[in-house]
Amino acid sequence: MESSGPPVPSSVWNVASWRSMYPGMWSWVVQRLSAVVLLILFPFHVLNPYIAWLRLAVLALVILHGMHGLKVILTDFGFPARHQRRLLWALAAVGVAAFFALGFLRRAFWGFI
Amino acid sequence: MAAGEIRFRVRRGGGADDPEARYQTYTLRVRPRMTVLDALVAIQNGQDPSLGYRYSCRVGMCGTCALQVNGRPRWACRTRLQALGERVTLEPLTNFPVLRDLAVDMTPFFDKMKRARAWAEPTGAASSEPARIPPESRERGRIEPHIECITCGICYSACSMVGHDPAFLGPAALNRAYTLVCDSRDEIGPNRLANLADEHGIWRCHSQFNCTEACPKGISPTAAIQGLKRRAVADGAKSFVGSILRGRAPGA
Ligand code: SF4
Ligand code: FES
Repeated sequence: MESSGPPVPSSVWNVASWRSMYPGMWSWVVQRLSAVVLLILFPFHVLNPYIAWLRLAVLALVILHGMHGLKVILTDFGFPARHQRRLLWALAAVGVAAFFALGFLRRAFWGFI
Repeated sequence: MAAGEIRFRVRRGGGADDPEARYQTYTLRVRPRMTVLDALVAIQNGQDPSLGYRYSCRVGMCGTCALQVNGRPRWACRTRLQALGERVTLEPLTNFPVLRDLAVDMTPFFDKMKRARAWAEPTGAASSEPARIPPESRERGRIEPHIECITCGICYSACSMVGHDPAFLGPAALNRAYTLVCDSRDEIGPNRLANLADEHGIWRCHSQFNCTEACPKGISPTAAIQGLKRRAVADGAKSFVGSILRGRAPGA
């Protein structure tokens, strides 16, 4: 319309208003960022799997990325939207548990403890 | 600031007549149970008659008063000041062209309702006899959680994908379309879906749930869009299998 000005930018593209982001949005952002960081770190891990901090970082990032993916897949298959926050917290708990379980099983903590 | 006072930071300007966007501060003594809309009326009456905002019903029925309260889209008339603290920032909805101060132009929102063909289109037999859709039927169960939309635009403002792709139909139009796709009286169902299944339609949604979080009516447009996606995938799978059974290459 001629008499109107440009829209106020959406909060996601406005760093100042990140405080008002909802949990589901954070989850999405974390998934995107974890993918980018993984893409950079993973080749180094493959080249030298004995770098302890890198091993843990890759494990944590894979879990972060995977848990959000799981959330989307469950949503795709009809997980009730009214429980989406609960699903997010549940998957976060599963992720933390998986991090420690896999960390011990795969000896990823070796070198730290 | 004295006790019982709230400092409002209000975004002014931004429209074509007054393009320079700026923030103006008003301090107002508030009473218990006052809403954001009450405060705007009080500021306009007592301090600044030039303040632009919009409302009609004052009771959460018309959806015209939507704006951003502390960065989140809300209805001004149903948002109590009590829970907001001593500093409140008011801005127009994101993703809408600004008309003036807090009032936005809803044209793109309703244009997308049209693009999604967000109205029932019964033809032939369906319109000649009253349809029976029992309240306890599965069909009604699917539609029920999605019908109370009052087109306030809050979900459209909350959606990061609308901000990213201005051609995206957005949550409200797709939510409405879902009720129609599910409705046995509507006779353009499959065509309706084909019209929605592209990169500016259902596939643009990334299941972020911003619309679900923001909708004051408790509607989940995300769930509606997921329902449309499932139907689109089922339709695609059916035609894929069908074309193989008919001995032709899929898509040919
Ligand atoms: S779905 Fe909810 S937030 Fe979106 S326009 Fe309708 S009532 Fe408003
Ligand atoms: S004024 Fe009608 S919904 Fe707020």
